[in-house]
Amino acid sequence: MTDENHWHLIPAEEFSCPVTPTITRFQQGWRRVLRIFGLKDADDIDSGHNIGLSDYREFDRAPAVSALNGHFEGWMAEGRKEVNFLLDPPFSGTAAIARDWTWQQGWTLLIPPDLSQLRAVAVDEWWQQQRPQGVPWLIDDLARYLLRSADGLRFIRVLLPRLLHGDFGQGLVVCDSWTFAFLQRAWPLDLPRVYCFAPAKPVLLRQLGIKGSDRQLSRLAGQVRGSAGMALAIWTCQLNEDRQLPSLPLEADEGTAFILYALLLHRGLSGERLQAVLPAMAPDELNVQLLRLEQFGVVEWEKQHWRLSVYAYLAVRDFLDGRDYLLDDF
Amino acid sequence: MGTEQVVKLFRDITTQTLIEALAVVLVAILLVWLSQKLLPWLAERVHSSRRLFVLALIPTIRILVLVAALLWIVPLFIEPTVQNTLAILGTAGLTIGFALKDYVSSLLAGVVAAYELPYRPGDWIEVEGIYGEVRHVGMRVVEIVTPSDTVVFIPHQKLWTGLIHNANNGGVSLMCVVSFYLAPDHDAHEVRRVLEDVALSSPYLKLSQPVLVVLEEQPWGTHYRIKAYPMDPRQQFQFMSDLTARGKDCLRKMPVSFARIPPELAMDLGAKPGP
Repeated sequence: MTDENHWHLIPAEEFSCPVTPTITRFQQGWRRVLRIFGLKDADDIDSGHNIGLSDYREFDRAPAVSALNGHFEGWMAEGRKEVNFLLDPPFSGTAAIARDWTWQQGWTLLIPPDLSQLRAVAVDEWWQQQRPQGVPWLIDDLARYLLRSADGLRFIRVLLPRLLHGDFGQGLVVCDSWTFAFLQRAWPLDLPRVYCFAPAKPVLLRQLGIKGSDRQLSRLAGQVRGSAGMALAIWTCQLNEDRQLPSLPLEADEGTAFILYALLLHRGLSGERLQAVLPAMAPDELNVQLLRLEQFGVVEWEKQHWRLSVYAYLAVRDFLDGRDYLLDDF
Repeated sequence: MGTEQVVKLFRDITTQTLIEALAVVLVAILLVWLSQKLLPWLAERVHSSRRLFVLALIPTIRILVLVAALLWIVPLFIEPTVQNTLAILGTAGLTIGFALKDYVSSLLAGVVAAYELPYRPGDWIEVEGIYGEVRHVGMRVVEIVTPSDTVVFIPHQKLWTGLIHNANNGGVSLMCVVSFYLAPDHDAHEVRRVLEDVALSSPYLKLSQPVLVVLEEQPWGTHYRIKAYPMDPRQQFQFMSDLTARGKDCLRKMPVSFARIPPELAMDLGAKPGP
């Protein structure tokens, strides 16, 4: 391990996923073939055995915070009333890094609007309750500012132009990569100043404390699509021979796809909001699907929200890809 | 052509030749049967363009097997000279012309359909007012399943003269149109925006395709149409139901009222094609 910091911020359009190793592609293809024939890989587990693995969120974020500081130093000093966007692929840890950095800077963390403000498009009311007192601010999860329902998209359409005009001063907006892909469709304007962390490479994985050969780490980086948080989670899983990555139930159908996409798009949802997003699904059907996915370790019930499990993310992405869903670029 | 001349066309037929021909026929039947059983089963387990690709293999494999079997069998019985070929074609032409005209016309149209591709398995087509999904393209007929789960067999012969409407034309994008009828006095821009969000928030929506809301003023009010694409053509009816239910829900919360269209006008409206 060297003292060099391998965390770097890059413009989002420059992000390219590390090449997935042939063996990983072969394994993915093999799993797809097994699913077609209604079989499961011997390595797959069918219950939430992963609960209890060491937390992938607990890594040393200081070097990443330092990279963020270095990148935005000039912009902060200028004090321009504008916003920067930071894309956050699922489980990458970007939002936590941004929170650490803005806390150090003394910035305000904005509270997302509640459901009634979202539906009433009460942007001014929401802003008044923030009491930012002229200091820069952070939106740590833009996915909380929209709901994919007929009355839940307008708030963000009103908010984004005002953010870009500088109506709310200087700020940083962390946006989930899946939300960002959807936003580009729902509000088709290329947002300016969109950044993300450069894809994790073996040197960065070593900096995170993952020990392995270059080949192993390149393979891991490709498998997790360059996400540092995902790399930690998958590596922990691989180290523990008793623990295997969960797979989707063989009964997974279009209803399952709706739920998984909604959870990814909103970065987790409460039961009430999930029902609002998927009114076509009966509450009983929704519950059966969620409980089945929980049994398989694909989703988790945490802090009154249904969320995707980090260990199931790659399988879910592959599942949605097979059904032509709009994927993120990460 | 005398009996002697006809006999001259054929080679000496031995038991071995007959067994070989029989074996070729049996293998060909087995291959076609297997492709017709296995490929639809496989197609049900994959999605999107992969499903359509697998389904499209069925008629292709059948034709390839048929051609290969004919190329194998015919030389076993007939000396393949120009004279023999012309003689056989002439005799076959006469027989077909008088006795099996319609049947052979359908068979030939089936061959034309295999390369012109007016319909493929997985396509949603309308022929003479019957709409459904192509499940099987046979030698003589195309088999479609209507939304009410009725199987309809349409001879390929329709290809020569009839109009065939193909909604997705071999692709996975199939446009759905959902109508709403409102009384004329309302804010049309606001309704358009709401209906666009209704489409954008449908879980069935294929986000990579455009959503369009168009409106047309009528004597009884305003006719709105949402034009959008579902993720999978097979979801078109659930998609349209979802848009209708959620669209109605949103419109009921707005200061608009639904148009009451007299039945005779409503029938005219149903017959009129959309813009």
